[in-house]
Amino acid sequence: MKTLVILAWKNIWRHPARSGALLAAAVSGLWAGVLTIGIMNGIHELRMDYLIRNELAHVQVHHPEFLSMGYARHAILEHERIMAWMEKDPRIDSAAPRTLAEGMLHSPVKASGVRIRGIAVDSESRLTNFHDNMVEGQYLSSDGQFPVIMGASLADMHNTQIGERVVLVFDDADYMLTAAAFHVVGLFHSPSKTYDNHTVFVRSRDLAELLAGQTVYHEIAALLYDRNDAQTVTADLAARFPEIDASTWYELSPVLRTLLDIGGFASFFITMVIMLALAFGILNTMLMAIFERIHEIGMLLSIGMARARVFLMVLMESIILTLTGAVAGIILAWISIWHFSRTGINLEMFGRGAQEIGWSKIMPVLDSSGYGMIFLIVVVISISASVYPAIKATRVNPVQAVRERE
Amino acid sequence: MPVVQTEKLSKIYNLDSMPVHALQDVTLSIEKGEFASIVGPSGSGKTTLLNMLGGLDMPSSGSVWVNGRELSGMGDRQRIQFRLWNIGFVFQHYNLIPVFTAWENVSFIMLLQGRDKRAIEHRTNQLLEEVGLGDRKHARPAQLSGGQQQRVAVARALASEPRFILADEPTANLDTKAAMNLLDIMARLNNDKSVTFIFSTHDQRVTQRARRVICMVDGKIVGDERHER
Repeated sequence: MKTLVILAWKNIWRHPARSGALLAAAVSGLWAGVLTIGIMNGIHELRMDYLIRNELAHVQVHHPEFLSMGYARHAILEHERIMAWMEKDPRIDSAAPRTLAEGMLHSPVKASGVRIRGIAVDSESRLTNFHDNMVEGQYLSSDGQFPVIMGASLADMHNTQIGERVVLVFDDADYMLTAAAFHVVGLFHSPSKTYDNHTVFVRSRDLAELLAGQTVYHEIAALLYDRNDAQTVTADLAARFPEIDASTWYELSPVLRTLLDIGGFASFFITMVIMLALAFGILNTMLMAIFERIHEIGMLLSIGMARARVFLMVLMESIILTLTGAVAGIILAWISIWHFSRTGINLEMFGRGAQEIGWSKIMPVLDSSGYGMIFLIVVVISISASVYPAIKATRVNPVQAVRERE
Repeated sequence: MPVVQTEKLSKIYNLDSMPVHALQDVTLSIEKGEFASIVGPSGSGKTTLLNMLGGLDMPSSGSVWVNGRELSGMGDRQRIQFRLWNIGFVFQHYNLIPVFTAWENVSFIMLLQGRDKRAIEHRTNQLLEEVGLGDRKHARPAQLSGGQQQRVAVARALASEPRFILADEPTANLDTKAAMNLLDIMARLNNDKSVTFIFSTHDQRVTQRARRVICMVDGKIVGDERHER
């Protein structure tokens, strides 16, 4: 076996330019491909992190009919017990209850449909980073009477400024139309203009008072230390509180779901394109090598080298060549990803668009299973692509092969 | 017991649907220690006979025995294995592995046989000394002259300790000096170590040194003379 490996290695360097070209193609292809996948993962992480850290959290609890019907009366009855359970669970970093309503925002100039999010200011500040989106005025606090914060673009549409009043109209728990004036204390600017134009934040206690005259919560959101625990936490919640509906971030957000699915497909597609190019490169190089050495292979068969060994020799040449390139490419990509995961890839070069959606810096990421999977695919592809040339080599007729030279 | 013998050996090739009788009822016996040359004009069947004796090609009819074993009864895998241990080959174009040194070319066949590393080292050095290339063992084929390459090929053929060596036109590409040098080495190995050589050739320099000359015409043996040298 050692002899075959030595022979295969020497055969590879018989034509340094040709082998070098395939090696360079493998190195650059793998480097670019793995780095691209890392960057795409980084973009997904960024988007996912933003949605989770600004609104969604990892786990949400609702009344079983709230998400489909959206009525104010579909409140969580056991919110205190659930909050207490969450505070004790070591998997949960923080949790916050929310009071929600659909309604209309009226100003002297127009009316807009909005989702009114009533938040418990302190716990919400621990749960999400939404307060970082404030661009004018201040975030909600326990001070003041009926404060509201709204999207800067929505305020523009209503020609409304800090300190002015807007009226929120919505159905209460008895389906009665209710209205109240709120003071605009702050304006925010999130990555989503649609979100900014259709969302306002008020204090939970203010909204609950107007909806039901008592504390009511429609949603409890929880942030976990490890998002991979979301499934087990929801299962535990469902088992312990059968009257509520617990969902993971993946189940709650079609945007994230789509993003992850598309990301997964795109990574697979990129990998396959690179692997296909690599496979044809290997096939072409190895077939050329076999045709050039046909008399030599004939001689090897003549002197008594078993066809299986000839097969292995060709296979090894291909595997050594490809894996050398692949390992070098993957190591280069690993170094690049490691470097950029610390410094980040600045997206300012792409103008304000990237920044406006919250992508100022991308931190590429690829876990060890990702590297392992790519390496495994390279091994399978290099073996598959060299099987045909190797079979071709074993079918050489020694008599004809030796005679061909004459 | 002869090292190799044939019985009514025939080979028919189909060229453009026309049968060509490359060998016709060839019966031949070569004993251990012979220095035999098969001569004849081009197309007389010399190479075909050599290929049959080496188990590289199969006869249309008849049989070949090497050391009492019939080659036509073996499968392809068996015949390759049999060649590895029993038959040495020297080709007209040397056919050395260009990426290997002279030393590696000679030792390679013993590695295929799975011999002991120290035994391989010892025998390789010894063989290269015997063919006069002890000082060129690290040279690659491209750094050697044609005569030197053919001597490496002889050393390689001897390395596996075969029962006989088949040499197809071994001197065809060599100048007179190199050819005579090569023949001297082969004659010495034949005399001193009873190595059996069977050549196909139309080179008079080889024929004059052979102790047995088998003459072929149109796939048949038309003469078989023995000479005292």
